[in-house]
Amino acid sequence: MLNMHNIRKSYRTDTVETHALRDFSLSVDEGEFVSVTGPSGSGKTTFLNIAGLLETPTGGEYHLDGQEVSGLSDRERSRLRNEKIGFIFQGFNLIPDLNLFDNIDVPLRYRGFDSKERKRRIEKSLEQVGLSARVKHLPAQLSGGQQQRVAIARALAGEPRFLLADEPTGNLDSLMARQVMELLELINQAGTTIVMVTHDPDLARRAHRNIQIVDGQVSDLRNTIGAEEAAVA
Amino acid sequence: MIGYYISLALRSLRGTPILSALMVAAIAVGVGASMTVLTLNYMMSQNALAHKNDVLYAVQLDSWDPNQTFNRGDGGNDIPLQLTYQDATALLRSDIPARQVAMHRYGFTVTLEDSEARPFTAETRVSTRDFFALFDVPFIYGGTWAEDADLSPEQLVVLSKATNDRLFGGADSVGQIVNLNGEPFTVVGVIDNWNPSPKIYDLNNNPFADSEELFIPFGLHRRFEMVSWGNTNGWSAGDNGYEGYEARLFGESVWIQYWVELNSAEQKSQYDEFLTGYIRQQKEQGRFPRPLKFALTPPSEWLVLNDVLEDDNRVLGWVSLAFLLVCVVNAIALLLAKFLRKAPEAGVRRALGASRHAIFMQHLIESMCIGVLGGLFGIVLALIGLSGIRALTLGIADRIASMDWLMMLAAIVLAILASLLAGIYPAWRISRTNPSVYLKSQ
Repeated sequence: MLNMHNIRKSYRTDTVETHALRDFSLSVDEGEFVSVTGPSGSGKTTFLNIAGLLETPTGGEYHLDGQEVSGLSDRERSRLRNEKIGFIFQGFNLIPDLNLFDNIDVPLRYRGFDSKERKRRIEKSLEQVGLSARVKHLPAQLSGGQQQRVAIARALAGEPRFLLADEPTGNLDSLMARQVMELLELINQAGTTIVMVTHDPDLARRAHRNIQIVDGQVSDLRNTIGAEEAAVA
Repeated sequence: MIGYYISLALRSLRGTPILSALMVAAIAVGVGASMTVLTLNYMMSQNALAHKNDVLYAVQLDSWDPNQTFNRGDGGNDIPLQLTYQDATALLRSDIPARQVAMHRYGFTVTLEDSEARPFTAETRVSTRDFFALFDVPFIYGGTWAEDADLSPEQLVVLSKATNDRLFGGADSVGQIVNLNGEPFTVVGVIDNWNPSPKIYDLNNNPFADSEELFIPFGLHRRFEMVSWGNTNGWSAGDNGYEGYEARLFGESVWIQYWVELNSAEQKSQYDEFLTGYIRQQKEQGRFPRPLKFALTPPSEWLVLNDVLEDDNRVLGWVSLAFLLVCVVNAIALLLAKFLRKAPEAGVRRALGASRHAIFMQHLIESMCIGVLGGLFGIVLALIGLSGIRALTLGIADRIASMDWLMMLAAIVLAILASLLAGIYPAWRISRTNPSVYLKSQ
């Protein structure tokens, strides 16, 4: 599903060049749930931005769903992002003056669906996250957990094959975090590949696989489920 | 997507009412000021004879002073703008033009027999019969007089619609008698509302005045000893061998406007030859002391030659557009502030699949919506400005200080162009921002 090989990303100012990712290589298979951990400034978000086609790497190869995406135009990258990738952010990133219906409608508009299809998908995704009754509410009228569920519904409405989550529970209390995590697990079980950046080791352990990024490189690859089984044995 | 962008724009404008109002006001003030001036210039530049531009010509003959040109100090072709009476009557004998008109402005006191209506003074055009056909004047009743009336004194009159309404309550008055300066005139026709502005057929006497209320034949000069009620220019007070009114008719003063209709290049060439021959003949008789010179000028050039739209008006037009540019620069600053405040939302949209082009278009259309609103308010401001000009000029500029539908449409187009100009840079800026910066920081 996702295959990065020797990805480099550096940011240059007049005096300083910062290497956010250095020879970063990673493969994620279809249907996997991968957690990404690492200290602040290690390059987790840069990896997520490149994976989500929001930034272009300075070097290296990136294949998404079998397609080399490094050389694509902005329009092609935007189309791929819209069709294949869903985003969930720590800060929810709902548009404050749009109600839930219109927030979820945003990616569907760029997809070019007609109004009937958009309505069907919006209602279905809101039902999936249990917020059908709040369709006309503004984000500010919801709790943090509810807002994150709306963000998930927005990501799901486009039926993406690849979900990128950047600390999706970072702004939630433990109960809300658990509910969101359970929702992500359900989504993954339905076949969607998920890559989740998190600081929470408990959540990281619930993924199929955890990778750790340190100084812009993958420092450790562990199959968390396999490791736990080994520990029990 | 255009409809979606428009709905987003309107939502955005409602979301920031004060900032939006400031931007609309910036565009509206600029458009209002420039449209006030441009409307005046536009109305002053109208050519009611544009459709006859290739067949109608104002005739000028250089019969002026041998010691100096006829120069009004503001350009022109140095030829008098009007003809002498004797030249006009001589040219009328030519059968080359399809139509030709010799005319001037005059005035009569109008009364009706057996009527208690108060006498009134009526602006009058003394003209040959072709005036109505040559300038496309529409008739309600009757028509023009016969050709004989231009040569021999026949007391016939054509009324304007307003005059006919005033004297006869709008009824068909053909055959009725109207007293002009106490003399009976028979009504032969009534014209419909007709009021070209500028009054291109006679730009000597306030180009923006109303057209005349009465029209009488050219053959009545001697009977009423008519002189021009408009501009008369002369250079010679010399003895021409005539006395009294005849001395005026055969003098060198210019006071007759003259137009011809020449329907082909061949006809024009023949008429050129005719005028050349006429001037040579007059030179042999001691007239036309200057080098042989005449001009046949089509309506569009006639407006320019007569400085209907003066240089001051043109400069004012440019100044008003410069003011609009200042308003656009203000709008750019306001739009930039507004759009950059919405950069996080643009970042989210980019993450959800919007291309840079989509973000650019969304914000450009928001600018355009501001332009449409600015244009509408600009029209209101321009109408207020024009009504102020009408009030200040005490009615003189009533007909040019008014906005037609075309100028209203132009105001909207100008406002949209101004707002698009203002919106391009802010929209481009927001479309180029890195979305990942805002996605993490929200």
